[in-house]
Amino acid sequence: MSFSDADLIARVLSHEDQNAFSELVRRYQSPVRAFLTRMTHGDSHVADDLAQETFLKAWQKLHMFRGAARFSTWLFGIAFNEFRSACRVRKEIAWDNADTVAGFEEPVAARHTHLCLDLKEALKLLTPAERAAVILCCQNGLSHDEAAHVLDCPLGTVKTNILRGKEKLRRRLAMAYEHYESV
Amino acid sequence: MNPSDTNDPLDALLRDQNDYIEDNGFTARVMGALPQRRRGGSLRSAVLLCATAICYVLAIWWVPWNLLRLGALLSFNGQALLAYGLLLAIFGSLLWGVIAALGWEE
Repeated sequence: MSFSDADLIARVLSHEDQNAFSELVRRYQSPVRAFLTRMTHGDSHVADDLAQETFLKAWQKLHMFRGAARFSTWLFGIAFNEFRSACRVRKEIAWDNADTVAGFEEPVAARHTHLCLDLKEALKLLTPAERAAVILCCQNGLSHDEAAHVLDCPLGTVKTNILRGKEKLRRRLAMAYEHYESV
Repeated sequence: MNPSDTNDPLDALLRDQNDYIEDNGFTARVMGALPQRRRGGSLRSAVLLCATAICYVLAIWWVPWNLLRLGALLSFNGQALLAYGLLLAIFGSLLWGVIAALGWEE
């Protein structure tokens, strides 16, 4: 029998049920860790540290979850705040660290013949705000409203960031495709 | 409109990239690091608010109201300055207590 998120949250709040919380962690560890891995340019160690902090914060603040948004949306909000905080204190994660979009000079890109690998590289070209908006909406299926809530920015900014981000991805993937055609 | 609802090939590629990450002990690591969750948040708030209110009443009781005159303040009377300082500290403490009680420190 599978409990809903609301049931599990109620059990955590009323009985401090750690089993219920571990079920929530198991359910959402993958999307949260994937989101943070993308945000940290593929550094899974840093991403897992941030994901752990995200779930610890969720445990402590669960009484503040009102159920107005989906639990996953609420978790993504905490995760994004953890990422933003980490950018301020950890040198290996910079907020404005998008690579240059113009060039296609990395030899590693030429070795990857699979489009998905190019997409991973291409995502690094986006600014953190663009990357977060694209990942949340296009990969995790959040609505624009939900993404605006997670990223704590106006709806119009989310839409702009998605448009800009996807345009950069298209340009980069087109360049990669032309490169493979020529070799 | 949600971008993932479109037939854009880029959206499809992005969705395909959203692989499941195996747990590999992550949940156990999180559960092992869980701190004790604060229980009885409303009780804590009530105690803090009551303590703040009692301190506030006592402090107000001790304020030398007769010295709280603008003239005395402008003449840099030491006792008047002390009384104003005390009043400022009372209001500051009251504000701090209410913020702490309502959990706005986060």
